[in-house]
Amino acid sequence: MGRGKLKRSFRNGEKKQPMDITFFVLVMCLLTIGLIMLFSASYAYAFYMTGNSFYYIGRQLAFAALGVAAMLVISRIDYHILRKFVYPIYAISVLLLVVVLFMPAINGAKRWIVLPGVGQFQPSEVAKFAIIVIFSHYIALNYQKMRTLKKGLLPFVLLLIPVVGLMVLEPHLSGTILILLLAGCLLIIGGANLAWFGVAAAAAGGALAFLVMFTDVIEYAMGRLTTWLDPFSDPQGLGWQTVQSLLSIGSGGFFGLGLGQSRQKYLYVPEPQNDFIFAIVCEELGYIGALLIIGLFAALVWRGIVISSRAKDRFGAMLCVGLVLQVGIQAVLNIMVVTNTIPNTGISLPFFSYGGTSLIMLLAQMGVVLSISRSAVLKQ
Amino acid sequence: MADTRKLSLKMKKRMRVVGVLLILLGFVTMGVRLFYLQVIDGDELQQKAVNQQLRDISIAPGRGSIYDRNGNILAASATVWTVTISPKDIKESQKEEAAQKLSELLELDYETVLAKMQKNNYYEVLKRKIEYDESEKVKAFCQENGYSFVSLIEDSKRYYPYGNFASAVIGFTGVDNQGLSGLEAYYDDLLTGTSGLVVSAKNGWGQDMPFQYEKLYSATDGYSLVTTLDETLQHYLEKQLEAALTEHNAKAVSGIVMNPKTGEILAMASKSDFDPNDPYTILDERLKASLEGLEGEEYTTALSNAQQYQWRNKIISDLYEPGSVFKVVTAAAALEEKVVTTDEQFYCSPAGVTIADHTFHCWKAGGHGSLNFFESMTASCNPVYVEMGQRLGAERFYSYVQAFGLTEKTGIDLYGETNSIVYRAQQMGPVELGSCAFGQSNKITPLQMLTANCAAINGGKLMKPHLVSKILDSDGNVYKTIEPTEVRTVISAETSQILCDMLEADVAAPGSNCYIAGYRIGGKSGTSEKLDSDDPDARVASFFAFAPADDPQIAVLIFVDEPNSYSQYGAVLAAPAVRRFLEEALPYIGVQPVYTEEELAKTTISVPNLVGSTLSQAKATINSKGLKVTYVGEGDTVVKTVPSGGNKIPQGGTLVVYLDDSETKTVTMPKLTGLTPSQASATAGALGINIHMTGDSTTKTATAVSQSIAEGTTVSVGTVVDVAFQANVARE
Repeated sequence: MGRGKLKRSFRNGEKKQPMDITFFVLVMCLLTIGLIMLFSASYAYAFYMTGNSFYYIGRQLAFAALGVAAMLVISRIDYHILRKFVYPIYAISVLLLVVVLFMPAINGAKRWIVLPGVGQFQPSEVAKFAIIVIFSHYIALNYQKMRTLKKGLLPFVLLLIPVVGLMVLEPHLSGTILILLLAGCLLIIGGANLAWFGVAAAAAGGALAFLVMFTDVIEYAMGRLTTWLDPFSDPQGLGWQTVQSLLSIGSGGFFGLGLGQSRQKYLYVPEPQNDFIFAIVCEELGYIGALLIIGLFAALVWRGIVISSRAKDRFGAMLCVGLVLQVGIQAVLNIMVVTNTIPNTGISLPFFSYGGTSLIMLLAQMGVVLSISRSAVLKQ
Repeated sequence: MADTRKLSLKMKKRMRVVGVLLILLGFVTMGVRLFYLQVIDGDELQQKAVNQQLRDISIAPGRGSIYDRNGNILAASATVWTVTISPKDIKESQKEEAAQKLSELLELDYETVLAKMQKNNYYEVLKRKIEYDESEKVKAFCQENGYSFVSLIEDSKRYYPYGNFASAVIGFTGVDNQGLSGLEAYYDDLLTGTSGLVVSAKNGWGQDMPFQYEKLYSATDGYSLVTTLDETLQHYLEKQLEAALTEHNAKAVSGIVMNPKTGEILAMASKSDFDPNDPYTILDERLKASLEGLEGEEYTTALSNAQQYQWRNKIISDLYEPGSVFKVVTAAAALEEKVVTTDEQFYCSPAGVTIADHTFHCWKAGGHGSLNFFESMTASCNPVYVEMGQRLGAERFYSYVQAFGLTEKTGIDLYGETNSIVYRAQQMGPVELGSCAFGQSNKITPLQMLTANCAAINGGKLMKPHLVSKILDSDGNVYKTIEPTEVRTVISAETSQILCDMLEADVAAPGSNCYIAGYRIGGKSGTSEKLDSDDPDARVASFFAFAPADDPQIAVLIFVDEPNSYSQYGAVLAAPAVRRFLEEALPYIGVQPVYTEEELAKTTISVPNLVGSTLSQAKATINSKGLKVTYVGEGDTVVKTVPSGGNKIPQGGTLVVYLDDSETKTVTMPKLTGLTPSQASATAGALGINIHMTGDSTTKTATAVSQSIAEGTTVSVGTVVDVAFQANVARE
C-alpha cells in the first residue's frame, strides 16, 4: 500500500464522501487518552530503568505522529487495493511467523522480530491483519455458498491452520485465542453455518479432554489456574503481577487517586507501560475513568459496525467489522487479564500500551476503516 | 472480481448481534467487574496496597532516668547504634566480600554475617548497641565502600554509673531496653515512653521515595523516677553489708533503711548482688566457685539458678522467721490491749514455761528469774513473751499480726514481693501461739518486719513502704508526686512511746553493740532458726534499730543469713554493722549528738595549737579545754605538743607540752586487744598513752577487738590510740 498507488483510489471517479468524523474523533480520543496515560504510567518505570522519565512517551509520541499521518493518508486510499495483495499479505505474514521462530526467545517465547535501529514488532500483529483481509476477501467471494462445507468452511480452516500452528509454536497463546475469536466472528457474520461452531466447540472440548487425560498439561495449567483463582496465595511469585494489578485497581476507588498520582506504578506493577497499563488507569482515574474508556472502546466498535453496514460492498463491510472487532476483542481480553477475570496472558491494550510498530499498524488499520467510511452509501 | 454488492440483511443482523454480544459480554461484564474491584472491594485492596507502599520505621523513645532523692543519677540511657543490613539490596557477587569486610570491622563471625546476607528480606540485625566511636567507623567504612545496604539505627543503652549499687532495687534492662527487674521492671511502662514512627513511601524495590510524602510521629521520651533512695546512705549501708558478708562468711547479708514516719526507703541492698551494667555475670565468689567444673546442661541450669539468685531482692522475695525482733510486735499488742502494765513483774523460771504439754525454755540457761516489763525486752526473755501471747489469745494476737501488715504484701513499688506464711487465729493452738509470740513459726519478709516495727515506734501508724517519690516528665517537670501513704493506725501514740523507751533502754543496756555516744538509739536484736535449711545450725542474725529514739527519723534492719562465724547472735553479728552504719548515717542526716556527762568523757576534742605561745597563755587555753597536761623542759615558750595542734585527743586526756628542745619521750605500744575497757584504759594510762574507746565500751565485759596502732610500735608519750570494743555477752 505504497504512496505511488494513491491515484488509483480515484480511478472509478466515484463521488467521494468525507471520512466518518465520529469514528475519527473516537480514535483520536482514545489515542490522546492513551498517550497521556502511557506517560503517567511509564515515567517512574522509565526513570528507574533508563534514567529518563520520557523514554517511553518520547518514542510513543513519535510513533503516534507517524501513525496518525499514516491513518490520514490511508483513509484517502481506496481500500480495494488490499484485495489485489490478499495473497502476498497472507504469504508475508506466514513467512514472518516462520522467521520469528528463529529469533531469540524473550521470557521463553519467540514473539518478537527485532530490527536493529528500527525497533521490534510481533508478526502476530501482521497475521491478525492478514487473516482479516483474506477472510473478508473469501467471504465476499463465497458469500452465497457460506453454508457449504467446501466453500464456507474448508478454505478458512486451511488458511487458519498455518497461522495458528506457527503461533502455537512461538508460543503465543493469547494471540492465538484472539485470532481464533476474530476468525469465528468473521465467519458468523459472513453467514457460515452456525452448526459448525457447535461442532468446533465439541471438538475443542474433546481436544481439551484429551490433553487433560493423556498429557501433563494439567500440571502446568494447575499452577497458573491456582494463581488465577487465588493470586494472593503466592503474592511474591506467580501471583505478583496479578496481585499488584488488583491492588492498583482497588486503590483507585470510585474517583481515582488523580492523574499522575498512582503509587503502584513505582515498580510495583511490573512494566506498567505495557499490558497492565489499564491497572494504572484505574488507579489514577478511578471507576469513572475506567468506565469512560470502556465506553469509548464500545463506541468505537459500534461506530465501526455502523460504518460496516453502510459499506458499499461486502469486502469493505467484512474488512471494517473485522478491524474494529479486533480492537474491541483485544481491549476486552486485556481488561479481563488486568482484572484477573481470565488467567494472565500477554495481551496489550490498543491505543494505550507501549509499542511503536503495533501503534502504527493499529492507526493504519483505523485509516482503512476511515477509507471504507468514505465510500459508504449513506442513503439506500 | 470487483464485488459491488452490499451486505445481505442476514449479515447485517449477525454483525449487530456479534457487536451487541461483544459489548454486552465484554464491556459490560468488565464494567461490573471493575465496579466490584474498585467500589466494593476498593477499600480492602487499597489498604493492602498502602501496606506495601509505606514503610514504618519506629523511633525508639529515650528511656527515663532513675535518680536518688538528691538528684544523683542511678540509671540513665545513652545513645548507641544497631547495625542492620538489607540483604535483598546486596548484589549476589558482592556478598562474600562484604561479609568478609564487615565481619572483620564488627568483630563478628564471617559465616554468621554471610548467612544473614543471603536471607531473602530487607532487615537483618548484624550487631547491637555499638558505641559512638565504632558507629562513626562503620559509617565511614560503608561510605568508602558504597555499602548502601548497611544502616545504623539509633538505639539506647542503659548505664548504671555506680555499678553493683542498689542493684536489687534499681534492677536492669534487656537488649530491647525493657525493664527486667527492680524499678526498671515495675516502672517499665513509664520509663519506656512512647515510640515514634516515621512513615515513608517506598517503591516496589523497597527504596525510599523521599519526594513522596513522609510523616513523622515523634517519640515521647519516658518519664524519669526520683527515688526515695539516698545515694550516700545506700553507700554507707552497702559498705557495712559487704564487710559483714566477708567477716561472717555468710550466705547473704541484707539491709533496709527506712524513714519510719513516711515509709520512704532510703537504702536497700542485699549482698552479694550484681552489676546491672552486666547482670549476667556472677559476682559472688561462693556462687562462682559452685559453677566451676560444671559442663553442658548442668552448667547452664546452675548458671541460670545463680543468676536468678543474685538478681533476687531477698528483702522482699525471701521469707524468714524474724525471731526476737518480732517481740516488738507482741509487746505492742500486749500494751495496746492492756494485758500487761509497764511496772509488772514477770518471772522466768529455770524450768521454762509449759503450755499444753510443750515446755518453752528461755534461750538463757537457768532463766532470767524475776524481771520487769522493760527488762523483758532487754533480756529478750522468751517465757515472758509466751505469757503475753497467752494473755492476748490467738484471736487478738492474730488481729495485731494483721494490723501490722504481716499477712499482706506491703505494696512496695517492686515486683516479686512474696506472700508471708502466717498462722491464722483458728490454726493457732496455745503452743503455736507461744512460739509465734516470740518470733518463731511465722514466716514474713524482712521488709514486712521493718515496716511493722516502724509502725510500732513512729506513733502507731503503719506506712506503706515506697521507693519512688516523684515522677518527672521528659522535660524534668513533675508529672506525679507520690505522697506517703498511711495504711492504718495500729497502736496508740502512747503505746508507741513506751515501745520507743523500751527499745532505747535495750540499746543502752550492756552488750547491745549498737550504742553510739551522743545518740539516742532504740533497737532490738533477733536470732532465728532456719527451719527450712539443710543445715540444722543455720541461723539468721538480725538487728533492728532506729534513731533518734525521741523522734525517729531513720530505721534500719540488717540481717545476716547463715553466718559461719564466731557467733550466730544478732546482737553480735548484725548489731555492729547497724551501729557502724548509724555512726556515719546520723551525722549525715543532720542528727546532732547530745552527750551525757559520762559520754562526754569519751568524746574527743581538738588539740589547740600552742606552739609559740607563752606558758601562761598555754595554761589558760588548756584549762578551758578540760585537758590534763604534763610539762617537759624549762622554757617559757611552748616548742611542741604531743599530740600536736589540730589532732584529736580524748576528752580529759593528757597532753604533753614541751617547753624546750628536750628529746621526745617515747614508749612501746602494749597489746590492748582482748582487754576489757577498764583494763585497756589502765594499761594505756600507765604508759602515758591516751586511749580513745569506740564501740561498746560501756559494757564492762566487752573486749577490745582492734587497736589503731599495732602492738610493739614505738610511740611518743601522749599519742592517741583508737581502741574498738565489742560486747559478746550472752544477749539474744
